[in-house]
Amino acid sequence: MIELTGVKKSFGKQEVLRDVSIKVNDGEVVVILGPSGSGKTTLLRSINFLERADSGIMKFGEKEINFKTAKKKDVLYMRRHTGFVFQNYGLFAHKTVLQNVMEGLVQVQKKSKSEAQRIAEEVLDNVGMLEKKDSYPSQLSGGQQQRVGIARAVALKPDLILFDEPTSALDPELVGETLEVIKKVAKTGITMIVVTHEMSFAEDVADRVIFMDGGVVVEEGKPSEIFYKPKEERTRQFLSRIIPQDAYVI
Amino acid sequence: MSFSITSFFDSFKSALLYAPVTIKLTAITFVVSLLLGAVIATVRNYRVPVLSQFFAAFVTIYLGLPTMVALLLYNLLFMTFYSDVAAALHISVPISDVNPIFIGYITLIIGTTCSVSESIRGAFRGIEKVQYEAGYSIGMGKFKTLTRIIFPQMVPILLPGMQNSLIGLLKASNLVSAISVVEIMTGALLPSLMYYSYLEGYVAAALVYWMIGAAIEILAHFAEKNSGKYLKRTA
Repeated sequence: MIELTGVKKSFGKQEVLRDVSIKVNDGEVVVILGPSGSGKTTLLRSINFLERADSGIMKFGEKEINFKTAKKKDVLYMRRHTGFVFQNYGLFAHKTVLQNVMEGLVQVQKKSKSEAQRIAEEVLDNVGMLEKKDSYPSQLSGGQQQRVGIARAVALKPDLILFDEPTSALDPELVGETLEVIKKVAKTGITMIVVTHEMSFAEDVADRVIFMDGGVVVEEGKPSEIFYKPKEERTRQFLSRIIPQDAYVI
Repeated sequence: MSFSITSFFDSFKSALLYAPVTIKLTAITFVVSLLLGAVIATVRNYRVPVLSQFFAAFVTIYLGLPTMVALLLYNLLFMTFYSDVAAALHISVPISDVNPIFIGYITLIIGTTCSVSESIRGAFRGIEKVQYEAGYSIGMGKFKTLTRIIFPQMVPILLPGMQNSLIGLLKASNLVSAISVVEIMTGALLPSLMYYSYLEGYVAAALVYWMIGAAIEILAHFAEKNSGKYLKRTA
């Protein structure tokens, strides 16, 4: 599905990604974990060219893109075949819930208004937001906004959806409903890469967990391996800080 | 000093007769300046090489130039060089047939463009980065993201400042009377020339300006009410 090789990125003198290579198979749900500053968000944003990596190769389906020489049409190709869910939702503030979901269908995929509306309403129903279709983002809670954000990405039927810490900005009691929606999307078999700190979610949903630190992939494997039998000391240290001790026992 | 109601009405009628000159000058200048200002602000916002530096320098320098000085300067240049330029371009219209109002247009458009571009730059800063990214992420290009996502969100931010600019422009348009264009004020003074009823003339001119200004404020109020709906939290 997607394979990144030797991705490097610096912001000024600070090296954020130093030679990262990952591979995600068709239909796989991959969770990227790591302390803040580990480069996981930058890696995710590089796939969608929201951040321009300095070098590296990206194979996506049949396509091969060199980050260094990527053209405008490569950038558009990636953006039109991947969806992105933002940490702070990123809903279009001046558009209603329905218009938010329809925008890409009409403007990018050139679907008719009625067709776009039909798709949008179906997807909104799936995330439990159909009743709020005429509300503006400012009238919604964070959790509701994020569900619309997910609906907007899913409606375009991308080959791959990228989730950038989708629950980090939410109040604790709203995290659950959002994670439920993401789980539901995962069950449809779509390929997903999720950057998150939600360990139990990762354990439930992920086919594979990638642990990053200091701009490199430290370790990767099945959730059970990473969480309970980490091979690397750095992974162990990170996990011991965020998983309560008793969770280890189970 | 006595105040003659009859003279006042004469002046008022005469001022109204020339109000279209002022309104047209103000409206056209404003629309053109808004478009040019948007282009300059956009170029500077996206840091287009060379052009953005050029506009930055130009706007900074030009904003320091008083409108009256600019108007008289352009008028002087026009008077001095018109015949040479016209001859070179094979234009046979004599200088006396050229309406001086076009000097007024040029002066007001350049000045207003500069100040409006600064307001628009301010509005750009009021838009979160994620709004651009969200546009890009669903596959829209830069232009579409700008026209469909960013510009519409700038409207409610811009409205109070634009109302201000428009009323400022309405009042500045009065300066073109200095290059012998007849507009509201000079129109109001036409009857005064005969009867020495200057007080009535100035009051009539003030009243007409005030009426147009009030109309702009009412329009702006409605525009503001309708454009910012999504900003209000009704929940």
